[in-house]
Amino acid sequence: MQPVIAINDLCKQFGHVQAVSHLSFTVQPGDVYGFLGQNGAGKSTTIRMLLTLIAPDSGDITLFGLPLRSRRKEILRQVGAVIEKPDVYPYLSAYDNLRLFARLKQAHTGKQQLLQQLELLGLAERAFDKVKTFSQGMKQRLGIAIALINDPQLIILDEPTNGLDPQGIADIRNLVLWLSRERGKTILVSSHLLSEIQQVATRLVIIDKGRRLLEGETAQLFNPAETIVELQTGNNERTLQLLAQSEWQQGLQPARQTSVVLKMHSNDIPALNKWLVANGVAVNLLQPRHSLEDYFLQITSGKQHVDDFTGRTV
Amino acid sequence: MWTILQAELFKIFKRPRTYIAFAAIAALITMVQVGMKADGDSYVKFMLSTLGGNFDVQGKIMNGYLVCYIILQMLLVHVPLLVTLIAADTFSGEANTGTLRLLLTTPYSRTQWVLAKFTAVVIYTLLLLVWLAILALVLSMAVFGTDDLFLFKSDYVVLIRENDVFWRYCAAFGFAALAMITVAAVGFLLSIFADNSIGPIVATMSIIVFFSVLSTMNIPLYNTIKPYLFVTHMNSWKEFFDERVTENNEAVAGSIQYPMRIVHSVLVLGIHILVLLGAAVWFFRKKDILS
Repeated sequence: MQPVIAINDLCKQFGHVQAVSHLSFTVQPGDVYGFLGQNGAGKSTTIRMLLTLIAPDSGDITLFGLPLRSRRKEILRQVGAVIEKPDVYPYLSAYDNLRLFARLKQAHTGKQQLLQQLELLGLAERAFDKVKTFSQGMKQRLGIAIALINDPQLIILDEPTNGLDPQGIADIRNLVLWLSRERGKTILVSSHLLSEIQQVATRLVIIDKGRRLLEGETAQLFNPAETIVELQTGNNERTLQLLAQSEWQQGLQPARQTSVVLKMHSNDIPALNKWLVANGVAVNLLQPRHSLEDYFLQITSGKQHVDDFTGRTV
Repeated sequence: MWTILQAELFKIFKRPRTYIAFAAIAALITMVQVGMKADGDSYVKFMLSTLGGNFDVQGKIMNGYLVCYIILQMLLVHVPLLVTLIAADTFSGEANTGTLRLLLTTPYSRTQWVLAKFTAVVIYTLLLLVWLAILALVLSMAVFGTDDLFLFKSDYVVLIRENDVFWRYCAAFGFAALAMITVAAVGFLLSIFADNSIGPIVATMSIIVFFSVLSTMNIPLYNTIKPYLFVTHMNSWKEFFDERVTENNEAVAGSIQYPMRIVHSVLVLGIHILVLLGAAVWFFRKKDILS
């Protein structure tokens, strides 16, 4: 199957800063592809190169099997994007903004279709109000309405939940899932929050300092058999001794100063809790955390990678 | 191209800032016309007295044509600022609001965007000049009537017959439009390099002031470059109001005293516009959009 996005050995340098370094990944049709990395990791630079806003120093980008450099116009007709912030013209109404970009994107839409699009994003009641009176969440939804107006095959959302309240974040998440499942769109969504990507992405890549660190299927990367459990009890030393002499010993990880750490299947967590209580251990904290999350947190916090729980590196 | 030009015009004329220039011109012209209506005769008497000698002038010196000339002399110096407000905001304003990146993800080339945006700025400038012409010329003709145009120059006077005046104004407004488009091209180019419009507006006005001052200084070093500066040629519209004179000191109706000066100015301004627009295309095609 031909990938929708194929990035090969992409590099971009700004002055002395290597923003993107030999980055390669592919996005397949129908993927909701998570693009993860801390702020400044090179996500937005990569996305801007995908949209021809920034010229790469080297490397190749093909979209829909076509080289981006020479087939730009043809490609961009099939792409919708929200880049960082949903910036639109504040002195125009939501309807006028949408109408303007519908024409620019060569989408042959009438008034009724434009209003339907605004209704889909929950903006029908404010369609003719000036955008300068909109909240951040409403602007974000308008930005997505503009991205979708030409019914693109590929949708690129760069940090779409930035600045949104929890309800707004949930709305965007549901919209992404709906677009993928009901409309069959391929979606590239970037974020610096693993938890966000985990809930929507079918595949993901993690980058840091412009380099690819990890890529794979989300379901495999979030393998429940490799859940990390952090345990804090009334007496961690005694708990560690008890666990070392029990059936749980094979999951024990190197001891930490304030907690005991086990790698285990998430289904076994209730049984562990029951066993601890039965052995007279006062459990203060029992916190499951996926190994990938641990890995990602270490990357994003800038710490050294001290224990690679998964053993997966690239 | 037509689609993006329409989009650009739609944005320009939906924006409240656009109408500041039209309102400012209307206010300034009205102010001059009210002043001339109220006390125009005193103004004419004062001007005649500065010439010395006795003049027996028949007819109506304070007519619509003279009022229009007075307005143009006073106002054309300030119109560049009004043009710059829009031209220097073209790219920088979009970069500031973040809409530039959205525009550039549409299926048009960067060259198309530059040309469409510049054409929109040119249309805006032309409309501003048409508005100026309607108020300064047509309205003045309606309010003050028409007669021969009697102009007071620094060391001589010019008398142009009534039926020989109107075409000169049309040509003068056409030339003024070219001069204003040159100013617009300067602001337009500078707007590519900035992420907010204040910088390009100030820079464009600074360039005009700097070269205007330079062109008034009679220093040999500067005299060599003056013919190549666009500001030197911006006032050449006045050449349309100097008639050729015969050896018998008789004015030749329908003539211009120094037509080649106008041609030279048109060429210099035209070349400026082409170079500035070419540079805008070149720089914008290479620019990374980081805003």
